[in-house]
Amino acid sequence: MVLLGKIALGITGTMLAGVGAICSQGMIEVSVVERQPEVHHVYVIAPAMLVPIATHFIPRHDLGDASQQLRPYMPTIRAALDQLQETEDFVMVDVKDRNQHVEVQKIGGSLVIDVKDENETVHVETPVRMISSTLEQLADKESATAD
Amino acid sequence: MRKATQLAGAVCLLVASASGMAASVFAAPPPERYLHVKVEDAKEGESVNVNLPLSIAEKILPTVNKGKLHDGHVTIGSADLDGIDVKGLLDAIRTAPDNEFVTVKQKDQDVRIAKSNGNLIVHVRCIDQDKQSDKQGNKQNVDVTIPLKVVDALFSTAKDNELNIVAALHELSDAGDALLVTVQDASQHVRVWVDSKSSSD
Repeated sequence: MVLLGKIALGITGTMLAGVGAICSQGMIEVSVVERQPEVHHVYVIAPAMLVPIATHFIPRHDLGDASQQLRPYMPTIRAALDQLQETEDFVMVDVKDRNQHVEVQKIGGSLVIDVKDENETVHVETPVRMISSTLEQLADKESATAD
Repeated sequence: MRKATQLAGAVCLLVASASGMAASVFAAPPPERYLHVKVEDAKEGESVNVNLPLSIAEKILPTVNKGKLHDGHVTIGSADLDGIDVKGLLDAIRTAPDNEFVTVKQKDQDVRIAKSNGNLIVHVRCIDQDKQSDKQGNKQNVDVTIPLKVVDALFSTAKDNELNIVAALHELSDAGDALLVTVQDASQHVRVWVDSKSSSD
């Protein structure tokens, strides 16, 4: 009985550690609300760590061009994202017209994009660390194909 | 005697904690400075606000090497300067008292360049002659106020045909809150300014 308890505790501990590791880069949140012609609500929340992992499974030949184009900009992207993580929360861009409102903000460790208009509301929240590691993965893929 | 020792200990503890708190306050990093750009179009009911932390701009610019921008410097064509000793000119402006240096008045345009309170000020007033009959507004006003320290930093490179954008941004972040550029025409209003607020409100 004690042995079973220890095994259960071990499994639970491993699962918790796994979940903790998967969620360590934060969560991606996507919410889309359509109001017309019918009301639809799509809500997705997923561990951000899955995105850089998923890039491993993208065939290299499919990414060749994108990675090649991305690579020259990596030093700039790296500098921007590193500094973005260190800065306090702020509104980057705010665009309003009569029908639409677009807002890009840095909140906590995430980049948050909100688009609101008469028919739709879109909310996307992605951790900056995830963006950084995904782009690094993509750029590395380019060097792998170049070798 | 024992009470006195206890009291002395308490006072020492109080002083130590107070000095620790003071040290943490003094060690706090300076507040982030933001470059704000706001464009409002009253006619179309549109507004665009862009807020950029100067620290991000300072870090990004040296990494961009494209066209005339390289390592945080912008190369300007030698023809644009055409033998003008910009550094000498700036030195002369810096040492001169506050004054209006240039005043140009034309039929459709007024230009004024002045120095005031350590700032270089440029005012331009334009009237579109083709639309003068249009009473709804055909004027365009441009006001530029740049701290002289920023202008100095801009021309602080060893080469005469280069502008040091990173040094200028650094100087701008050290300067106080400032309204740098305003452009106003019949429908649009553009403002560029620097302060410590993280939004344009």
